[in-house]
Amino acid sequence: MLSSIKAPSPEDAANGYSWDTIQSALKRYLRGRGARPDVVDDVTQETLARLVELARTQQIGSIVSLAFRIADNLVIDMHRRESRLEPEIEDDIRSEEPSLNRVLDSRRAMDIFNRCLRKMPRLRREVLIRRRINQESCRAIGDDLAMSAKAVEKHITRGMIDLRRALEQAGIDLAGQD
Amino acid sequence: MGQDMHSIDWQAAQWIDRMSRPVLDSETAAAFDRWILTDPRHVDSYARLSAIWQSKGLEAALAEPAHLSNANNDDDAAPSPGWWRLARGGAVASLLALACVGGAQLLVSDASYATARGGTRVVALADGSTVRMNGDTRITVRIAPWSRHVTLERGEAFFDVAHERLRGFSVDAGGASVSVLGTAFDIDRIDRDTRIIQVYRGLVSVDAGTGRQWQLPAGSGLELSGEHVRSLKGVAGAHPGWTDGWLEANDMPMLQLVERLNRTAAHPVRLADPALGDLLVTGRFQTNDPKNMLEAITAIHDLRWHDVGDHYVVER
Repeated sequence: MLSSIKAPSPEDAANGYSWDTIQSALKRYLRGRGARPDVVDDVTQETLARLVELARTQQIGSIVSLAFRIADNLVIDMHRRESRLEPEIEDDIRSEEPSLNRVLDSRRAMDIFNRCLRKMPRLRREVLIRRRINQESCRAIGDDLAMSAKAVEKHITRGMIDLRRALEQAGIDLAGQD
Repeated sequence: MGQDMHSIDWQAAQWIDRMSRPVLDSETAAAFDRWILTDPRHVDSYARLSAIWQSKGLEAALAEPAHLSNANNDDDAAPSPGWWRLARGGAVASLLALACVGGAQLLVSDASYATARGGTRVVALADGSTVRMNGDTRITVRIAPWSRHVTLERGEAFFDVAHERLRGFSVDAGGASVSVLGTAFDIDRIDRDTRIIQVYRGLVSVDAGTGRQWQLPAGSGLELSGEHVRSLKGVAGAHPGWTDGWLEANDMPMLQLVERLNRTAAHPVRLADPALGDLLVTGRFQTNDPKNMLEAITAIHDLRWHDVGDHYVVER
């Protein structure tokens, strides 16, 4: 139970932020990513414990993005473990209340993304493919397509917004998860 | 409120892209923490957009072949082999996965080509591009489903690149790297420090490292020599003169001229005195007629030349 965890004292703050602040951002993030309430609590607790340990020995650039990354990995681990241990029960629970990840990985979401991508300018689609699938840097993409890295970034940003809007228009309510 | 949400999403999307870069400077890292902790709605938007961005659904949709074979029919791409259209579509993700488990050799073709002094050669690459190699030239070519890369190890080559939307084409000439989508250009590795790049069609981007970058449109060129850069104008015609057996010199140092001539001539030319290498020459010479060329050069600078059996000597 997370509410029973005592937040570390203020002088333990990381990069100038109190652990309380980081903790509530982390919980909100996990909820936003569609994690189940019990998963949110467990993962937040484990992530904070690791962060406190890391912050003691290392200089951390972005404490929040590190928190998110640790949490993402813990969620993946947890799902992997669960589906190995109790595949049938898990499926039942999931089909009752599909998690956001499950929705986004579905055939239906793929079709929505597909339609949205088809409607985009060709250049934007190409930028998204190169960035997401080929993991090319904005600069490399810009060099190849004869535009600035800034322009590439704009296409990616715009593309993400288009995709989110397409989901919402198709009735997949991303904001209604909590 | 709607407007507000929109701008939050916009910022969140920017941050997702920035935070997924391999290297993050401390300033950006601190700016991210500041932004995300300012407003809980920032966290919400960031979480949802990253869920979309990282989802398997999006990955599968992006790897769909339809997006790559130009469904809206407005591409000017040159035709590419059918297998490739397939490969760069749905299979891209699985190809990448394959590459990770060591199956990449099946998909990546590596080849080396070389010409001896005096001989030229045209190499047709698997993607439909052609490389016309001057004499005394060596290239290695790596064609992968996701990239086309050539290393010009020595000499000079003229590249006529087949246009492809997704796969770039890059040439590394040691200290200068040129990347394009579809175009025709010539790169000459004159000596250890000097590279001449001339563009005959399309647009190329040249990267000489340490942040030095240029965009060269057709008809222009660049001479890179260590720290010195000279832009070249009046690159005319569809391909460089040497491919037709002509050597064009425009205030070219004699040493450079001789080195270029020697690439195509079986009977090389040597300068008796290295100082002669600095003399400048302008003219258009036929490379298969070195005697005529030597006559012209020696006449310009009041020099002499003679045949010593296996090579020509130029002296004062």
